[in-house]
Amino acid sequence: MNSLYIARESMIHRLDPRTKILFVLFIVISSFLFKDPAMQLILLIGMFPLVLLSKLVKQYLMSMQFLMLFVVLIMTIHGIYNPIGETPVFEIFGGLTFKYESLVYASVMSFRILVIGTAAVIFVMTTHPSDLAIALMKWKVPHSIAFMFLSTFQIIPIIAREAKIVMEAQQARCLDVKANIFERVKHLVPLFAPLFIITFVKVHQLSYVLECRAFSRNGVKTSLRETKISSLDYMFISGMLVLLLTELYLSFAQQISLTTSNLLVSSLFAVWAVFFIVIVKFVYKKVSVFIGG
Amino acid sequence: MEPFIKVTGVSHVYPNGVTAIQDVNLEIGEGEIVAVLGSNGSGKTTLVKHFNGLLKPTTGQVTVGNMNTKKERIAKLSSLVGYVFQNPNHQTFLPTVRQELYYGCKNLKISEEETEKRVKKAIELFELENLLDANPFDLNSSKRKEIGMASIMAISPKVVVLDEPTTGQDHKGCKRVLELVKMFHEHGHIVVLVTHDMQLIGELNCRVVIMNKSRKIADDRADVVFKNQELLKTADLQPPQVMELANQLTYLNRNESYLTIDSIVKWFKHNKKGLEEERKIGTGS
Repeated sequence: MNSLYIARESMIHRLDPRTKILFVLFIVISSFLFKDPAMQLILLIGMFPLVLLSKLVKQYLMSMQFLMLFVVLIMTIHGIYNPIGETPVFEIFGGLTFKYESLVYASVMSFRILVIGTAAVIFVMTTHPSDLAIALMKWKVPHSIAFMFLSTFQIIPIIAREAKIVMEAQQARCLDVKANIFERVKHLVPLFAPLFIITFVKVHQLSYVLECRAFSRNGVKTSLRETKISSLDYMFISGMLVLLLTELYLSFAQQISLTTSNLLVSSLFAVWAVFFIVIVKFVYKKVSVFIGG
Repeated sequence: MEPFIKVTGVSHVYPNGVTAIQDVNLEIGEGEIVAVLGSNGSGKTTLVKHFNGLLKPTTGQVTVGNMNTKKERIAKLSSLVGYVFQNPNHQTFLPTVRQELYYGCKNLKISEEETEKRVKKAIELFELENLLDANPFDLNSSKRKEIGMASIMAISPKVVVLDEPTTGQDHKGCKRVLELVKMFHEHGHIVVLVTHDMQLIGELNCRVVIMNKSRKIADDRADVVFKNQELLKTADLQPPQVMELANQLTYLNRNESYLTIDSIVKWFKHNKKGLEEERKIGTGS
């Protein structure tokens, strides 16, 4: 694996990267158009068929786990403590009251994270980095900048791999990475210093390698991979346009509000439940390794 | 006596489902030098990473000095089993050699006296007196590799694992590695080598463990293993060039093994006559 891209034979994979960039932009704009949690939820659920289409459901859910941490924290802490709240909705532990306005604020924020996160994950997982660079160049982005973009995508897994080796190498020098939290903060230096050095060395090498292969030569550059806008892309783009217009109409002319306190409470519980499952799964994994399953 | 490292029926499956080693049994006792050989991807590194707990066996058991590696922290095991990584840049990062040497002991949290003692021993062993204030990154690559080794030896582990110590080294560097390995051995350390450098193994004539397709297929002395052509072919290994020459010169004494140039030269010096006869036969036919 040399990037976050996961190869599959799917409709979403076949889309031109430019279409998918537009798609991410469209989702970001739509998400910021609505200040109604229900609409954010609709966006989120509406994107799920795309995940299904790209055949990456498992990987998608795995990457969302991490975002759930933020969502739970935002929903819970803002729901209780955000000062904009006035109308109490329900109470836990006797003193902590979730308020309607704060819950609306919190759920818009956290669902927005999920919505934009989903769009980004779909984009990154279904777009080959080289295709992205080519697509950018077709938009007249200079080659070197497109390449910078591309290499950033590709260097992340390399750094992750090196980080693992450095971690092992430092443990071999008796660094206790499983010590208490204060110790661990101190241990960031021995873990990051070699990593930085190695990354710089690698990038430096990369620049030499590129020059050896005539990277800075002027003129038109061709590519092995080709991206083409097909009828599928046009369909997709026009669909997005229609949706965007509808959204604009809905949010400015109609001022719709589908949110009820029931919806808020149930989504809060749903978030808690999902987070709980994630935690249980995580703990189970740790424990099973410890027991030696 | 109980072997210091005992590997019983160990298999390791990586999270991505690749079985790296399968049902390996191995015992390493005090004062041994063991070389783990095999082609790339045969599971050499995976095997030795079990010795200090960097990897835990999926099935089976690894005990190091009566400790089950599955139940101990790597940091603790590392004080018994020093692992020198192939690329010193992964291990060294401090601005001076002196700090590098003290670093491992500081992590161990042992008394100052003991630390001084261990570091002093490492300085003597590696002859680093003049380099203590140098920055490891200013040194050449073979010296840096040596610093990497010294930083591990300063912990004074019972076992030292060297991962590809001669890769990318010049002749002088390789000779130095050989010297160092012999020195570790004399000081009572168990040395485990992971290498492709057959000449080094030949010079050491140590115990050899051959890995092939994630299984252990041989465990014997180097001279015995290197004579077994069939085995070498299966494992895709080439014996040291001297050994290959000796295998082709059929008139050499079959019961002897010629792992070094010296040994073969010695034979020629002793058997000048036999050699001349051979030449006569050669020209006569």
